[in-house]
Amino acid sequence: MKGKCYIQGMAAITPQHTFEGDLTQPMAMTHGNMLSCVEPDYRSFIAPNSLRRMTRVLKMGLAASLKCLQDSGIAIPGAIVTGTGKGSLQDTERFIKEIRDYEEKALNPTPFIQSTYNAVNGLIALQQKCTQYNNTFVHRGFSFEHALLDSMLLLHEGTADVLAGAFDEITPEHFFIKSRIGLWKKETVSNDKLYEHVSPGTISGEGAIFFLLAPSATAQSYAQIGGLEMLYKPSSEKLKTALPQFLQQHGLQATDIDLVLTGANADSNHDHYYQVLNDYTHCPQLPFKHLSGDYETVGAFALWLAAQILKQQQIPSQWFPMLQQPPVKLRNILIYNHFFGEQHTFMLVQAI
Amino acid sequence: MAERVFITGLGMITAIGDNVADNLLSLRAQKSGLDFTRQLDTIYKEVLPVAEVKHTTPALSEMAGVAGKEGYTRTTLLGLIAMQEALQHAGLSSLEDESTGFINASTVGGMCDTENVYFDIADPAKRGDFIKYIDTLDCADCTQQIADVVGINGPMTTISTACSSSANALMYGARLIKAGLVRRVICGGTEALTRFTLNGFNSLKNIDKRPCRPFDNDRNGLNLGEGAAYLVLESESLVKERNATVLATLDGYANTNEAFHPTAPSPDGDGAYAAMKTAMEMGGCTPADIQYVNVHGTATLSNDVAEGMALQRLFGENVPKFSSTKPFTGHALAAAGGIEAIYAVLAISHQIIFPNLHFKEKMQELNITPETQLLEQYPVRHVLSNSFGFGGNNASLLISKYEG
Repeated sequence: MKGKCYIQGMAAITPQHTFEGDLTQPMAMTHGNMLSCVEPDYRSFIAPNSLRRMTRVLKMGLAASLKCLQDSGIAIPGAIVTGTGKGSLQDTERFIKEIRDYEEKALNPTPFIQSTYNAVNGLIALQQKCTQYNNTFVHRGFSFEHALLDSMLLLHEGTADVLAGAFDEITPEHFFIKSRIGLWKKETVSNDKLYEHVSPGTISGEGAIFFLLAPSATAQSYAQIGGLEMLYKPSSEKLKTALPQFLQQHGLQATDIDLVLTGANADSNHDHYYQVLNDYTHCPQLPFKHLSGDYETVGAFALWLAAQILKQQQIPSQWFPMLQQPPVKLRNILIYNHFFGEQHTFMLVQAI
Repeated sequence: MAERVFITGLGMITAIGDNVADNLLSLRAQKSGLDFTRQLDTIYKEVLPVAEVKHTTPALSEMAGVAGKEGYTRTTLLGLIAMQEALQHAGLSSLEDESTGFINASTVGGMCDTENVYFDIADPAKRGDFIKYIDTLDCADCTQQIADVVGINGPMTTISTACSSSANALMYGARLIKAGLVRRVICGGTEALTRFTLNGFNSLKNIDKRPCRPFDNDRNGLNLGEGAAYLVLESESLVKERNATVLATLDGYANTNEAFHPTAPSPDGDGAYAAMKTAMEMGGCTPADIQYVNVHGTATLSNDVAEGMALQRLFGENVPKFSSTKPFTGHALAAAGGIEAIYAVLAISHQIIFPNLHFKEKMQELNITPETQLLEQYPVRHVLSNSFGFGGNNASLLISKYEG
């Protein structure tokens, strides 16, 4: 795709202190394999009567989107597009239980309504009176990425700006369920020591992250999204040829990349894919999932990090103690992430 | 200039037929698919009518050609049957020669199977082969299972915007083609009946105990349905290259939001009006060019008022023939937009307008009534197909006769 795409505002609720966009905060530590978000005070974003009815991921999604709009100085975006792997788990779990407990009688519809995957989108549209394009992607590691592609198409088609985001939560019940198919490590690790424990599985996480995207740069732009590529269950050979091709399409070669953010998560089942990055030994490769945990839409967190780093021209060293030598320049960041070996994504994020 | 998007293949399974031809037969015979469930374990078994596909899940896995293989939910199997028909109809025995995308739609993924084992899955004390359903909890599972069987090798994702999901899937697929990212995409949705959804709509008091009566003054809600429907979309250049038969064109589409209420439309149908108008204008049509509107027409109190008001606003005194086909298929949620897009293609290729079953009395709020007769040899060139959903999501597609 030819069109340009710039990040004009963003906001992130994550297991780190990211909501104020302050990169000097210390790394938040979690002992145990389930990272939970540091949630902001929602009262400054959401009216008390609405807040009472809303479940956690709805609050996280709505607050992050509103903070992002604030940050960008735009009240009503030209479109709202999101990705979520799981939607509101709390509501889904609650409605399943209430169907059983009340034997299908006299049920409260609220958890059913809120369990709908596009509930957060509807809430944002309602709150901001945004009557334009509205879409929600629900495909594991291609949820946020297709939200991003859809946004880029919209900008290309002439939409002035797009609010694009991702949200996912983890609950103790769902953490247990996914542990039964080996997604998480059996041994309990502390997130700052994640990479010392290479073994089957990883640590889980969550987040709600939004971006305001526009087709031209201004002084407030964080970064440019220069390219996006998705590969479904690629072979190692396919992956090997796809990465240089991806850079070539954007007029770059491996040596032009100043920093790689990798989704490497110490999961010995799927770690081997990251060997495709062996050609990038000239620049630092930083893993980021010790900060966020792993989840379907974690790609949004990687993009937020890349955009922050490019805007501030600095890598927060307290979050990345593994960084030995900071890169000489910070112009082009490559993100490579995959979700348990199935959905693979390359993203190119560039300084303005 | 962006390429035009053509429809070159159709595949479907619903309560009124296991394939497109059987659906057409039932539509012509005015035979509704509504009945009581035989598959679903619910206290509403003999209370709430549903439009269920008339096969057990093991029978569906035979039809889909995956009998004896594990891990396929009813959602996946319905989708696989429709997908295989669509590919065959488009004359595609293999996808190897051309990058082919798949944009699927689902509202609750494999819930149809997982809801029966969920408490075992979540209980550390329980062990058993239910573990295999854990991966089917989300919406991506059905998409990937279908994709893996038929060898999808292009862009793939799943959309979930409640009842408008598959209309949005068609729109997204068309836009990927227009942007030049891919030349062929298969779009639509799949939906299996679940206790979860039945209780959800019932808790909203949106389900009629009688067969639904869209646009009738005495309507009292929808009936749920299940099924799957996929349309093969191809770019003009690919169609020419492989000399494919064009069934219809997808020249206009729109997605708007009401920003009015989480589950109800605005009484004046602002979102429906904007979606229809934008789709029509994008395809270069004026109101006078439209011969038929396949309405969303769920028969809920609020939808039909809003949609009817929108029709009156858009078409004034000359509202074209319109009907809801939901009394045939029930409301198949994520599959509905795909099913009805296929009916729009059939309306064009067979020059036919489908009746709105169960209509008796004009709604007080409106001065229009739906078409209640089967009209054959009716000159249909342009059809609007509406799908509206929770979260204020409104989608409208303009499907037109291919005239070169």
